[in-house]
This record gives sequence, structure tokens and C-alpha cells, in this order.
Amino acid sequence: MVAATTSDAVLPNTGGTVLSVLRKPSVLPGFGLTLGFTLTYLSLIVLLPLAALALKAAGLGWSGFWDAVLTPRVLAAFKVSFGLSLAAAAVNAVFGFIVAWVLVRYRFPGDRIVDALVDLPFALPTAVAGIALSALYAPNGWIGSLLMEWFGLRVAFTPLGIAIALTFIGLPFVVRTVQPILQDLPPEEEEAAAALGATRWQSFRRVVFPALLPALLTGFALAFARGVGEYGSVIFIAGNIPGLSEIIPLLIVIKLEQYDYAGAAAVGVLMLMASFMLLLALNLLQAWMRSRHAR
Amino acid sequence: MAIQVSGITKQFGTFRALDAVDLEVRSGELLALLGPSGSGKTTLLRIMAGLEFADSGSLLLNGEEALSLTPRERQVGFVFQHYALFRHMTVFDNVAFGMRVRPRGQRPTSTEIKRRVMELLELVQLAHFADRFPAQLSGGQRQRVALARALAIEPKVLLLDEPFGALDAKVRKELRRWLRKLHEDIHITSVFVTHDQEEALELADRVVVMSQGRIEQVGSPAEVYDRPASAFVYEFLGQVNRFDCVVADGVARTANGALSIPADGTVRGPAIAYVRPHDLGLSPCAAGPGRVSGIHVVGPDARIEIDLAGLPLEAEMDRERLSALGLRPGDQCAVHIARARVFPQP
Repeated sequence: MVAATTSDAVLPNTGGTVLSVLRKPSVLPGFGLTLGFTLTYLSLIVLLPLAALALKAAGLGWSGFWDAVLTPRVLAAFKVSFGLSLAAAAVNAVFGFIVAWVLVRYRFPGDRIVDALVDLPFALPTAVAGIALSALYAPNGWIGSLLMEWFGLRVAFTPLGIAIALTFIGLPFVVRTVQPILQDLPPEEEEAAAALGATRWQSFRRVVFPALLPALLTGFALAFARGVGEYGSVIFIAGNIPGLSEIIPLLIVIKLEQYDYAGAAAVGVLMLMASFMLLLALNLLQAWMRSRHAR
Repeated sequence: MAIQVSGITKQFGTFRALDAVDLEVRSGELLALLGPSGSGKTTLLRIMAGLEFADSGSLLLNGEEALSLTPRERQVGFVFQHYALFRHMTVFDNVAFGMRVRPRGQRPTSTEIKRRVMELLELVQLAHFADRFPAQLSGGQRQRVALARALAIEPKVLLLDEPFGALDAKVRKELRRWLRKLHEDIHITSVFVTHDQEEALELADRVVVMSQGRIEQVGSPAEVYDRPASAFVYEFLGQVNRFDCVVADGVARTANGALSIPADGTVRGPAIAYVRPHDLGLSPCAAGPGRVSGIHVVGPDARIEIDLAGLPLEAEMDRERLSALGLRPGDQCAVHIARARVFPQP
């Protein structure tokens, strides 16, 4: 309800004092209309549900809220969710970058097919991905049995399995954010570096990579955000042992099944805040990097 | 350092960009590669720099075969039309780049790099902008940074690809003068590519006129302008009036007989005659064959369009002379040709 009243306060004032403060003179039309639409839309789709969530959690009271979230089980789930999402996003940043590099820089037979394959994790129902991955990595699965035999490594039903599932679903984000920027990178800058005496590696490290870093960071942030919220693929491969391989979304579902709606909302709110802080930090870092060369 | 190009050929698919080109760049000179787009001038420059690979031929830098060398080993400074500055680096870091990427043993100390960069920025008059990013500079300033960056590696040759092409007219002129002066000060062998004949004639010690992957003529600006070796060079360097004509007994006559032009003895039969607008004289004459169809005044000069029995001509003279003649649009006039060049019909 909070959200609805803010948008009401702005809308009737189109062109009036509220907007004239926000608005700089511009020939682009439709500022009032589009801003009003944006605020209404965001209120209905994003802010309203989130506000309802916060409201539900507020029913617990201040101390009740902290009692609900500061339990060892919840904290452990936070560590698993955020730690593994960051790890998976980092892995994706490295390998997604390489995939994007190969797709943009080299022509090879079947490159279009590889390009299309990258999007599959988007399209596949996550539960299907989870079942497929756990079948592969289970101790009796194709890959799992080999890993077990050679390295004594257990993947499925451990945190490592979660990391693999999160890496799978996060890959397209990095590839699809880096790809267009790499595509548009003017070849002259690399030629200039070569003419100035830089080796291939030096021109990559000092010229190409810094130009791609903001995009890479965006991809990283998106993959991370997706990983934190992921549910379907993880629960099949995680084993879901409380305190070890239990993720926050699952914990929330468990609380819901126990009719602990307020507790579930509290965990949800905390998760929301943590995610928001991290994404905000990443965005600020990016804005700072952009400001360094776009004026 | 001298550059010797011999028999360089380069093919892009079915398009022959360079066709067995021979060229010598003398040590210390400022040479212009002039030609229309697609004439192969940029390709030749990029082959000299090692940014493009020749299909055949040889390239000697200071007497040493260089085609197999990487750009890094050739030590040439290259300046791009669109500057190609590193966007995420400050002006200082851009200029320092070439020194910082040297192998550890040859890399100057950071104080030495700082001294050298500031010296170069002083030279291009941008010392105050060391901490700016390229996006915060104007086009002319960016190109000067690019030049300082290229000079920082102490290149033996400076290669410039349409260095003023992306700048507006006034800045272009300033930068041109400035480059000429810089070259007089440091005397580095320099080759620049341009499609602007005025730029080539004003700036270069020698001009190489190229067309369709071949060199049409090499010579001083006065030579190529006054004694063009081919019809192409004549047409490319400045405005021309062109007549299809037939030469007999040392006189070229246009098909409709409106004009006869003295031709030198070497040409016979069907030919093309060229007359520069400022070599075309006019005088008021009520019975004259020409009619003034339009007059355009451009600064101190006047361009007069003449209709000579259906043949459009352009004459050029200063405004005072025009008002002395008293010609107005619609007047009849006589046409005199002070100088013409006649080339055989290809």
C-alpha cells in the first residue's frame, strides 16, 4: 500500500512542481507519462509484493524477527546460498568470458550451434536441469562415478553439486553481456597497442580486458543474482542436509510447509536485503569504472 | 630511415588492392600517399606498419627485409584516422603505454617515463591535460595525444593514416601547419595517407598519387600539379574542364568545333584535353561562342559557368578582374585557353 500512495502522489502532478524539480529541460517527449508508467508498473510488479513480504515479516516484531533469522540453520543456509552463488558466478565469469571470446573472435564450423547452445540453460526448466545434473554427477552416474574412482570426489548431494548447478544456470548471463561489447570493440585499439610494441598478451591485459571489465561485472552480478534465487535445479543435486547443503529458498519452502509464514517472510526479507546490498555495491563499482572513461 | 617498397601486391578476395607497387621513401622526408578511396593507399601504409600482410613483394626498412617482422619489431609509430586512443586510460597512460610494454630489460624507470611523457605532452601542447581521459578532449587534442603516443616509442618512421580526416576544417588546417613544423623540428621519416589533394600539396615534400592499386606519379607538389603524368593525376589534383577532342596537325578540336586547343606533338587522334578553370580566359564579346550561365562568388574568387555551344565549362578569376570585365549572367563572351594538357584517349 505504501508503494501505491507514492505513485498516486506523483501522477496527478505531471508537469507540476514535483516533476519540474526532477526534470531537466529536454526535447525528448513523454517524460511525465513514462515516469508515471514506470513507477506504477514497478509498484505493482515489484514493490507491492516486496512490501507485502516486509509487512508479513513485521508481524513478528523487532526481536521476533531477529529470533527467526539468527538461528544456526538459517545462517548456515545464508552461507551456502551466497558463498556458492558467488563462487559459481566467479567460475562463470572466467569460462563465460572464454566462451564469449571464442564465439566473437573465431569462425569455426558449427559456431552458430555453439552460440545457440549457450542460451539453453535459460530455456530448460530448472528442475529438468537439476535432475539431469544429479543423474550425471551421482556416485553411480557417468561423470560422478569417474570422479569418485579417480579423485575420490563426491559431487552430487554436496555443496560442490550446488555450485555446479548454479554454474550451469548462470553461464548465459556472462556470455550474453560480454559478447556484444567484445563484438563492438574497435580493432584499431588493439592495432595501436601492437604498433606501440605490445605483445598479444600485453594488449589483451592492458587494452581489451579493461574495456570488457564493466560488462563482465554486469554478467557476474546477473549470474550471482540468479544463483541466489535459484531453487529448482539445486534441490535435486544438493542433498539438502540442513547446515551443510541447504539453500535459503529451500529453507523458506520448508518453513512454509510448516505453516511458519512469518518466519519464512523474515528469512525472505533478510535475503532480499543482503542481495540488494550486494547488487547495489556491484552497480556502484560499475558506475565508477564507467565514469573513468565515459567522462 | 629510408623505406624501400618493391613489387608489393595485396589481394582482398577478388579485389586487387595493390598491384606490384614500387616506392622509395627517402630518409627524413614527409611523403604523402594521395588517392581516392579504394586506391590502395591505406593498405600500403598498413603493410609498412605490419598491420596488414602483403601477398608478395618486399619491404626494406633501412635496408633490412621487414615483411616478416611483427609491428613490435619494426618500431614504427602509427597514427589512426579515428585516434584509437585507449579509452580507459588517461592521456598520460596513453602516451606512456609504448614505454611500459617494453621488455623488462629495456623498460625505462618510472621517473624516466614520467619525464619523457611530460616532455612529449609539452611538445604537443597538452601538458595540462595529462590526467584527462580521451573522451574529455576535442578531436584535435585527441589526435595530438595519438601523435605523442606514437612518438613515445622513438620510432624510426612515423606513419599517419588520414590523420586529419575526422577533424573539422579549421582544426585540420591548424594541425596541418603544426605537423609541418613538428616535422621540420624532428625530421623523422614520415608517410601520411590522405584523399585531400590540398592537404597533400601543402604538407608533403613529395606526393605519391595512387589509383586502383597502382602508383600514377611520384614527385614534388609543384611537379605533380604542373606536370601531371596521366589524365588521372590531372583530374584528381584540383578542378578541371575536360573536353573530348580529336588531335590533328598539333591542334585539338572538340567535336562540335567550338574550341581548338594547341596540343603538343606527341598526341594524335582521339584525345582528352584538360584545362584548369584559372587557365580559362574570358572577354565580353557580343558575337562570342560562349554564354555566361552563372556566377558564384566564393570568398575573393569568382567561379563563372560558361555554356560553350552546349559544352559546360568553369572559369575562375578574382572578383576584381570579373568586375573589370563587366560580365553578367546571360552575356555572350569569347573563351581563350592560356594552358591546356592533352592526353591520348585511353
